Amino acid sequence: MKTLSWSVIGMALLGAALPPVVGAQGKPLNVTGVRGLTFGAVFPGVPRVISRTDPANAGQVDIGYAKFSPILLTFTLPSAMAGPAGATMPLVFGASDAGYSSPETITSQVGFDPRVPFATALDKNGRAAVFIGGRAQPAPSQRAGAYTATITLTVTVLP
Amino acid sequence: MRISKLSLAVLALVISASAAQAQTNNASITATATVQTPINVIGAQALNFGNVFPGVNKPVAATDLTNAGRFDVAGQASTPVTLSFTLPATLSSGANTMPIDTYTGMRADDAGQTVGTVLFSPGASNAATLSATGTMFVWVGARVVPATNQAQGVYTASVTMTVVY
Repeated sequence: MKTLSWSVIGMALLGAALPPVVGAQGKPLNVTGVRGLTFGAVFPGVPRVISRTDPANAGQVDIGYAKFSPILLTFTLPSAMAGPAGATMPLVFGASDAGYSSPETITSQVGFDPRVPFATALDKNGRAAVFIGGRAQPAPSQRAGAYTATITLTVTVLP
Repeated sequence: MRISKLSLAVLALVISASAAQAQTNNASITATATVQTPINVIGAQALNFGNVFPGVNKPVAATDLTNAGRFDVAGQASTPVTLSFTLPATLSSGANTMPIDTYTGMRADDAGQTVGTVLFSPGASNAATLSATGTMFVWVGARVVPATNQAQGVYTASVTMTVVY
């Protein structure tokens, strides 16, 4: 009996160490960054817009989970990109700058506002892709150099 | 073999803990941009007609390195830009005016007009490309048309060139 008790305790500890995002069907909730949002060469005073349908430059995150699962997509969006010597450049997202694609193709998206949580559901394949565009707004006196920012997509499985 | 209460409690804890775990995951991507060198434009040399005689038109060619007006441009290497000019129709000396017309333009990659030279008509929108070193030199020529009774004096006006990416 003592051996059984320690076995169960061990199982409890093992359970605590397992990845927490395992669904009812035993599938993990996978959220994977596939491609960054790339503005490329930007000129001072000239805004640069990247559409969510831009196959080369739009950001992409892939989702995989149990089929037909209702999910909530929430973006954490930066307001500016950081550059050399502490310079910042505004980064703006609009009401149609994100897109949800069940077939995981950039040409087939349902647009949504990345500034607001978006509720949807995975299809029979249990997979989807989320695309994002945006607008970089360099000032006329914008310091030259490389600028970056981090965009985070959080996926929550709804009950 | 009886399963102890402790074992059952721990097992229950495992099950309940698993059910309570939030099903949330996230991923991050990076937004990137490279800001190019800003454009800098200076008026390097005035358009100088020198001595002008009443009734005698006097032109200055854009290829005249000494007398043509010159703008020096610096920016991102090998980048297309658009030049736009504001060209006066008259020069003024107090209340007196003298017509100026027939504007001509020359641009080159160097100040000696030896590399990448292009003649053009300066106007509201002229397409150009900065050199491999990010520079461009622009000259402006024109013609003044003094009347036969043109009043003596020093006549001036401003020529403005705007450069944008």
